Amino acid sequence: MLTREVTVRNRAGVHTRPASMIVREASRFASEFFIRKDGYEINGKSIIGVMTLAAEQGATLDLLFDGPDEADAADAMEALFERGFGEPL
Amino acid sequence: MRKPEPFKKEAITVAYMVDKVRSRMGVVLELLNGADPETRQVTDVNLHRPGIALAGYTALFTHQRVQILGNTECRFLMHMSEAERLEAFERILAFSLPCIVLTDGNALAEPLNASAKRMGVPVYTTPMPTTQFMYQLRDFLEDQFALQLTLHGSLVDVYGIGLLLSGPSGIGKSEVALDLVERGHRLVADDVVIATKKTEEVLMGSGTEMAQHFMEVRGLGIVDVRAMFGVRAIRFQKRIEVLVRMHQWDADEEYTRIGMVEETESVLDVELPVVKLPIIPGKNVTVICEVIAMNHLLRHYGYDPAEVFKERLAAQLQSGQGPARPRRGIEWFEHDFE
Repeated sequence: MLTREVTVRNRAGVHTRPASMIVREASRFASEFFIRKDGYEINGKSIIGVMTLAAEQGATLDLLFDGPDEADAADAMEALFERGFGEPL
Repeated sequence: MRKPEPFKKEAITVAYMVDKVRSRMGVVLELLNGADPETRQVTDVNLHRPGIALAGYTALFTHQRVQILGNTECRFLMHMSEAERLEAFERILAFSLPCIVLTDGNALAEPLNASAKRMGVPVYTTPMPTTQFMYQLRDFLEDQFALQLTLHGSLVDVYGIGLLLSGPSGIGKSEVALDLVERGHRLVADDVVIATKKTEEVLMGSGTEMAQHFMEVRGLGIVDVRAMFGVRAIRFQKRIEVLVRMHQWDADEEYTRIGMVEETESVLDVELPVVKLPIIPGKNVTVICEVIAMNHLLRHYGYDPAEVFKERLAAQLQSGQGPARPRRGIEWFEHDFE
């Protein structure tokens, strides 16, 4: 089990497009993936779940990974947040 | 599967509490002194009647609770002289109180209201009798401060039984939920279910404010069940009664064959029956979900099919006159050749 803390960097926050990018990226890995924000925790492989986070720019999220490829999944996801989903920061 | 951490509300404002108690529970509450209820917070689910504190003993005064002054406290204040009364009242105002509620139509004599206002403590009055009001308010606060947990799955009301379908991503929970809705059952939430521990034995489920009755169907995208199927296809809340765990068929796993041993699982310390449902091609999971619900209903009303079958077998074995081979279910066909 691995935990990483990330910050939402892009200006528009986690709207529909970033949410689907997160889910698509997470689905490439076998590990379970959860996102926690202010005690509210959802399954990171569910698009509805990720969208209900309504994570705005500057929000900090805990990413939790559990499974055989958790390290790779964590790195990939962190990189995605770091890039700001390829959107204006 | 790893379970998320439970969470709960830490505080609500007095304004929010009063507004909800008024509008949802029909309780009449009138603000007597014009103090701002937005700035005061309620953090404790319990209520307190500060009789002993008014009398002078404040060592164990649970001042953080909503303070209720009923007939006893109000009469007690009235039997004092004016100076004593103000002193007693200001003794409890020295603590940080969320608000004061006078029940049974009581009111405070004047310097007291102003004194509370100076300290920023809202004073309300209600015509409702003390015990009844305390019961109502506690019920509301218990709900507000109840332990909550987000669950990944779909909650559907099937024949009045709340089935929580869970399982790994992509196993088809949403599709089964959709199929159940198509057959006239009602969707509570898909993907994200918020479970709230209402009492020691009751777990209530609902969707999130944002995603209520929206559903993701892989290959289609997001669909709105309420807009598509109408109001008959949805519910806003439902008690979670049976857990249905969907997973890939695993030849090594032992599946329930007779249903004598009931497996349970604990969610927020509430024990719920679990049905493990292996998914194999050609299996109609929707119909099985309906059967799970009906079976739960039968058991709830005291009929356990596995138990009945077991008793039949035992009676036959004990009678010692069982037939050599199984008997036909019907003695003779009575000229009925249909």
